[in-house]
This record gives sequence, structure tokens and C-alpha cells, in this order.
Amino acid sequence: MREIAKLVLVLGLICGISAGSLSTVRTYLADRIEQQNDLFVRGPALELLLQQPAQDILANKLIIDSPEGQALLFYIMDTGRVSGLAIETVGKGGYGGDISLMLGVNMESNQLLGLEIIKHQETPGIGAQIEKTTFRNQWRKLSTRDPVRLIAAGGTIDGISGATYSTNAVMDGTQKAISAFNNSKDQISELIQQANSADQQIE
Amino acid sequence: MSRFLSVLVHGIWKDLPPFRLVLGLCPALAVTASANNGMGMGLSVTFVLIFSNLTISLLRNIIPDKVRIASYIVIIATLVVLVEMILQAYFFGLSQQLGIYIPLIVVNCIILGRAEAFAARNPAFLSAVDGFSVGLGFTFSLTLVGSIREILGAGTWFGIPLTGPDFEPFAFLVKAPGAFICLGLILGLMNAYGRWRGENVIQ
Repeated sequence: MREIAKLVLVLGLICGISAGSLSTVRTYLADRIEQQNDLFVRGPALELLLQQPAQDILANKLIIDSPEGQALLFYIMDTGRVSGLAIETVGKGGYGGDISLMLGVNMESNQLLGLEIIKHQETPGIGAQIEKTTFRNQWRKLSTRDPVRLIAAGGTIDGISGATYSTNAVMDGTQKAISAFNNSKDQISELIQQANSADQQIE
Repeated sequence: MSRFLSVLVHGIWKDLPPFRLVLGLCPALAVTASANNGMGMGLSVTFVLIFSNLTISLLRNIIPDKVRIASYIVIIATLVVLVEMILQAYFFGLSQQLGIYIPLIVVNCIILGRAEAFAARNPAFLSAVDGFSVGLGFTFSLTLVGSIREILGAGTWFGIPLTGPDFEPFAFLVKAPGAFICLGLILGLMNAYGRWRGENVIQ
């Protein structure tokens, strides 16, 4: 009995110390990892959507709460006004898991600037075709006022045959991004103003 | 002193992990498409080896025999997650390239092998030296395989273009079959050399 207690105690102690040290390091490095993730994973997508160097956009980061959950948002300014947004959401129900994607929105024309896939684990050659430009270009210039739908549902998007789950997950993410944008337009501009005035105060 | 020296050099020729011990072949085949990746993987394994050997050796009188493997794996896993976080925070590109093979260092036979064969019955400093030696050999081997594959398969070395535009790279070398062929040739050459020197070689 004492032997078993000793076994449990030693193993438990080792696990405890390991977990403790890892979570310490994690807290210490979390910000830096997030930064690197922004720069290398989100950066290229942001550059393509908003046509500006990633370094400039990444500083303009906001988190907004919407009924569907939190959405991550990046914005660019043009002569004192917000000219473009990129909204990142997670599309549920992909074949290989959730799909992270980013939608660009032109604030002046209320049109979509495009769609970029940030992270996915879909089957290469089938579901992974969501990355192809021919598929993603269908999002360009769609209005944020109308819901984005597949042709089968009366919309304009031609889905990928054989990859229904992947297509649906992308549509899910799109809908979340658009509704986050429409529901919290005021909240977004307010937050951006706050962020900017805070910046000015620091300066 | 002679013991220290023999421990220091044994990993570099006598117990060279992938070629002489034929251990740790999975990373040696999978991530050596370029010299840079091979070296990154090798250094990550070296880091884990040194500290796992050190920790296990320090705890060798505390850990009960019955739970030793479990304890070793907890210690190794902790170090691997540590390496993973450090790579993500400071070498993001490399961590994306190495991907799943970094977490898989946990089950790398070299590390558990050194823990069981050396660190569990030798003093701490000598164990760390052993980890360093074997890790160095592993890093050297992976960099070698990566260099051969990268130079002949892509015409570059550590990303620097080496060959002129007239050189047609052997593209298959940077793909999976190239790894097997490359490793096989190196193993064959090393065995031939070993036999010529009259050593006992793997039959």
C-alpha cells in the first residue's frame, strides 16, 4: 500500500511540476506567439484583402462581440475614416474540422473585397479546393446587404462538387462575418474611434 | 577524464543515431527536404536530449522503477512542448515547416533510449554531455541528409542558390522517395567504410 502511494505521489509530483512550468512559460510567451501568428498566418491574407503592408494593418486589431460569438477584426484608415475591414470568423462543420476564414469589406461601397482562407484541414484535392482563387473570387464585389448564398439556395456562389461539407463551412463562416458586420456596424465605428483617440492620448 | 571524452565523442561516430544506431529515422526521412529544416529538427532534438538526460539523471534515485517510463515520458513531453512554444514564438516559419514532427519528438526512440540506457544510471553532468553528443550527431546527420537533398533536389543550400540556371534539379530528391534513396546511400557508404576499417557493422 505504501509503495503504491509512493508511485502515485512521485508521478503526480512530476506531472504537477511539468504542468506548472509549462503554463508559466505559456503565459509568458502567449503574446509573442499570437503576434507571430498574426504576422505569418493572418498577415498575407490581410495584405491580399486590404492591399496594404501587413505590419500597418496588424496594429489595428479589434475584437467585437456578436450574437454568434466573438469575431476578430482588422481595419485600415484612409484620410481619417475607416476605409476597409477584414473580419475573421470560424466556419463550423468542415469535413476535417472548423475552417478559419477572413472576409474583406469595403466600408464605402459596402461590398466584399474578397475571401481568404486562414486555416483549414480539408482533404487535399477535394475540400482543399476552397483555397482556389476561382472559388474564392466569387465573393468579390458581393454586397454586404444581401445574404451570400449558394446557387442552390438562390444565391450566386457556385459550390465545390464533392465537397459539400467544406463549402457549407465556408458559407457558415461567411454568414457569421457578414452578420457580425451588419449587426455591429455602429459598435465597430465606435470601437475604432475609441482605439484611435486612445492612440492619440498616448502620443 | 577519458570517460568524459569517450562520452563526448561516442554520439558523433560510434553511436551516430540515424546511421549507426538506425534510430530516429522518422524525422530523418520526413523533415530533411532542406538543410534548414534538418538542422532545425536536429537542434530541437538536441535541446530536448540534453535537458531530458539531465533531469532524468537528477531524478534517477527518486523515480521508482515501476513508473520510470511514465515519468520519463512526462519529462520528455514537457520539454517538447517547451521547444514547440519557443519555436512558435521565435522561429515561426521553421515551426510551420516542421509541423507535426515537433510534437512527435516525444516518441523519438533516441530520447527515450538515451534516458533508459544512459541517464538512468549515470551522474547528471555526464548524462547532459551524452545528450549533447548524441544530439550533435543527430543534428549533423539530419543537416547532411537535408543538404544533399536540397543541393541536388532544388539547387540551393540553406536557401542560397548554388547552381546556375542551366542546372536541372533532381526534383524527386526533395520528395518522399528521395529521402529513402538518400538515406540508403549514406547508410551503404558508412557501412562500406566501417567494414573497410574492420568494424562490426549492421548486416
